[in-house]
Amino acid sequence: MAHYLQLSLTGLGAGAVVAVLAIGLVLTFRASNVVNLAHAAMGTYIAYVYYGLRNFNVASTQKGGNLVLPVFGVPGVVHLIDRPTVVTALAIALVVAALVGALVYLLVFRALRNAPPLARLVASLGLFLYLQAVMELRAHDIGAGAATLPLTSLLPNGVVRLGSVVVPTASFVLAGLAVTVAVVLGAVFRYTRFGLSTRAAAESEKGAILIGVSPDRVGLLNWIIASVLAGGAMIFVAGITSQLNPTQSSLLVVPALAAALLARLDSFAMATFAGLAIGVTQSGVATFQSQAAWLPSWLPNDGLRQALPVLLILVAITIRGAHLPTRASLVDSRLPVAPVPRRPWLWIPLLSGAAVVALYTLDAQWRLAIVVSVIAALIALSCVVVTGYVGQISLALYAFAGLAAFATAKLELAGVGFPWAPLVAVILTVVVGILFGLPAVRVRGMTLAVATIAAAVAIEQLVFNSPALNGLSGVPNPQLFGSNLGFLAPGAANFRPAFGVVAVVVLAASMLAVANLRRSPTGLRWLAVRSNERAAAAAGINVGSTKLSAFAASSLFAGLGGALLAYELPALSPQQFLVVGALAVLALTYLGGIATLSGALIAGFLASGGVLTRIQGGAAADTTTQYALSGILLILVAAFYPDGLSMAVRRAITRLHSVWLRGVRSRGAT
Amino acid sequence: MTALLEVTDLCVDYSGLRAVDGLSISLAHGTIMGLIGPNGAGKTTTIDALCGFVPQVRGSILLDGHPIDSLPPHMRARAGLVRTFQSIELFVDLSVEENLLVATSTSRWWSPFVDAVAPRRHVHRDDVNLALDTVGLRSLATARPSDLSHGQRRLVGVARALASRPKLVLLDEPAAGLDPAETASLGQMLRNLPELGIAVLLVDHDMSLVLDVCDRLTVVDFGQVIASGVPMDVREDPSVISAYLGGGS
Repeated sequence: MAHYLQLSLTGLGAGAVVAVLAIGLVLTFRASNVVNLAHAAMGTYIAYVYYGLRNFNVASTQKGGNLVLPVFGVPGVVHLIDRPTVVTALAIALVVAALVGALVYLLVFRALRNAPPLARLVASLGLFLYLQAVMELRAHDIGAGAATLPLTSLLPNGVVRLGSVVVPTASFVLAGLAVTVAVVLGAVFRYTRFGLSTRAAAESEKGAILIGVSPDRVGLLNWIIASVLAGGAMIFVAGITSQLNPTQSSLLVVPALAAALLARLDSFAMATFAGLAIGVTQSGVATFQSQAAWLPSWLPNDGLRQALPVLLILVAITIRGAHLPTRASLVDSRLPVAPVPRRPWLWIPLLSGAAVVALYTLDAQWRLAIVVSVIAALIALSCVVVTGYVGQISLALYAFAGLAAFATAKLELAGVGFPWAPLVAVILTVVVGILFGLPAVRVRGMTLAVATIAAAVAIEQLVFNSPALNGLSGVPNPQLFGSNLGFLAPGAANFRPAFGVVAVVVLAASMLAVANLRRSPTGLRWLAVRSNERAAAAAGINVGSTKLSAFAASSLFAGLGGALLAYELPALSPQQFLVVGALAVLALTYLGGIATLSGALIAGFLASGGVLTRIQGGAAADTTTQYALSGILLILVAAFYPDGLSMAVRRAITRLHSVWLRGVRSRGAT
Repeated sequence: MTALLEVTDLCVDYSGLRAVDGLSISLAHGTIMGLIGPNGAGKTTTIDALCGFVPQVRGSILLDGHPIDSLPPHMRARAGLVRTFQSIELFVDLSVEENLLVATSTSRWWSPFVDAVAPRRHVHRDDVNLALDTVGLRSLATARPSDLSHGQRRLVGVARALASRPKLVLLDEPAAGLDPAETASLGQMLRNLPELGIAVLLVDHDMSLVLDVCDRLTVVDFGQVIASGVPMDVREDPSVISAYLGGGS
């Protein structure tokens, strides 16, 4: 027992970091109603700044003191001073954090103050992708090739003894810092004019302006504080875990989001408590897993620690939710327009035919690119259904695709033949999709988005990371009626077009099905629920089951995409289905047009390794730069074309058409 | 003959505040009842409670003799009890016609599969057209809610409630924001509803409309019924006058 206590208290340190991140999330939400997915990524960048400055060795000639810049097209680092001390480096890093917070607010979220919640979420996604890409590049610049930096702990090394329990002093120091931050911020928000102004501006911007509060200044200050807190937290967490990694560190935002949600994005005290509790539970669960011999061996080593606390919070939030939003809660659910597809029976077969012709005439690299795009479009289509048509932001779709891929591969390798293995895998995926859709019956909006990230993390940690699934390869080629439909073949025959045809047919059939659904009574119900849940219930629509039907349809398409991936990829590994991939799916689909069929196609076209990559010259193109650019593009689209590129094109065509008609008429009149 | 709606001892608590306190209403088939009272009297909360939109409701609600208080909102709507909203709440993504069609559509768990392969037709187009004719907006069937005037939007809200051929429709301030001409035609329309077999519970602040169309009035204040009866009697009731004009009782 003492052993558990010791390990749990050790977890206080990690918990404190989660707590401070959660406080920052609460702060930006209270100030500008943004759930900032890039919060930890911003902090991670600050940690890079700090460790970039401190990246020197007394014995060597290396001087350190380099400032890592977060902008493209300029030198990666600027030398500031030689061998800065801890205090100097910390001070510079936190000043940079303040600047970053200010810039992020002024350049991104101020413009999106009145944008729909989905646009704000997507903008923070764009920021996330951008920062990650920058950090990947900068890690090379500072000379640490594998994106890791030498880390030196900032904190005392001693231990505290409580009877037989020994706990590092650092844990207590960090926990104390977190609590102090919460208490100070709580007091500031309750007692000062600044806190009052923030609350006023968040409640009613117009009202705040009328009484002489500048929402801009208030927003700016809050973003600066949040950014500084995030920076501090990430510097410390890198110090205690000796790990700094653009992706993994940025994803610390997930437990922090869970804690912030438990605090209803409102209470600093509750966020702190939840954050600390997550750290302590994780530590305890890790000990438990390492000692409980009866746990199945396929369970990944770190699985329970990562997944359990987040899942518990998911359950708590779901239970606390209500079936319908209340009269008082202003639900702003404006979403991009969802037009009825025009003449799908004409253009979908035509495009499919063109794709088939291309498959049989172009070379192997092109065939690969087309298949990659087709599968990506299928997964994007699942996003169109659940997010575009029904307004349920789901970030678990990519995990569903992964689930179907692993299940198909596992079944195939166990000897289950072609149509049956993917069939069973897709059915399994739909069942899981409905299960993870259940929270959507009771929670909505941002809360749901976070719940689905939590679900995706749980699937990743508990299933994908399992040693039993690592490196599945040798999936046999699918055979139907004696003909080989496989993708992989030795030599120049590789990337066989027959498989491409299967993929194109699956996508075309799925798109036609979605086009049918959109104009059917089911589609009307989906859009009604998307528009207004209360009114939908009053109109006799079962809101819960309507949402679940969308989750089922969506996981069906994601599952089909995943099953195709099992045959397309030479080997499956957990790295192919990380949560970041799910963020990219939502991002690309939003870029294309999240509520349109052609949006899914555009997403497939843009997908990394797909047709666009091929046009640009294939693998030679720098994918990191591409990520960074798509991050910026995403922010711009969220701000200026919230309906997505496909609607921008459609409007342009309509405008040209009417100009042309006017021209025809005027000529007829003269 | 049993009453269409029989509400007994309805109570609603909002975290410590009792918004509706032991309210009882009996509404006969084919009648229009007005539910009036000062602001904050619990009128909208009563509608919310009857339709299942608020938790913590006690008391019994019988619709046509069947208890409905344990049904979720959509089942109450399908049982024939529908409502409109004070804030209109149209489906902004759907056309006027689709707003009504969706209220008449039925769905089974397998419906999405059917729709994916061969989309079902909208079977209740007649009901939708009748409802649009009733409010006089047939010509705007393909318009979007955002293209309509405030008054037209309110009428679409009423039409959506009527489209599913309910037994009883609860109208929450249908005349709010309407101009006098629109209000007059709304009154005309409401008087025709009993002929279509639809009873009405009308909440509104426009006294001339309420006195004009209602067969009976129920007056509430602080969540309790303070008077009920035919409009002529209720108008003269001293407790009603004091509730509206304030002052001692």
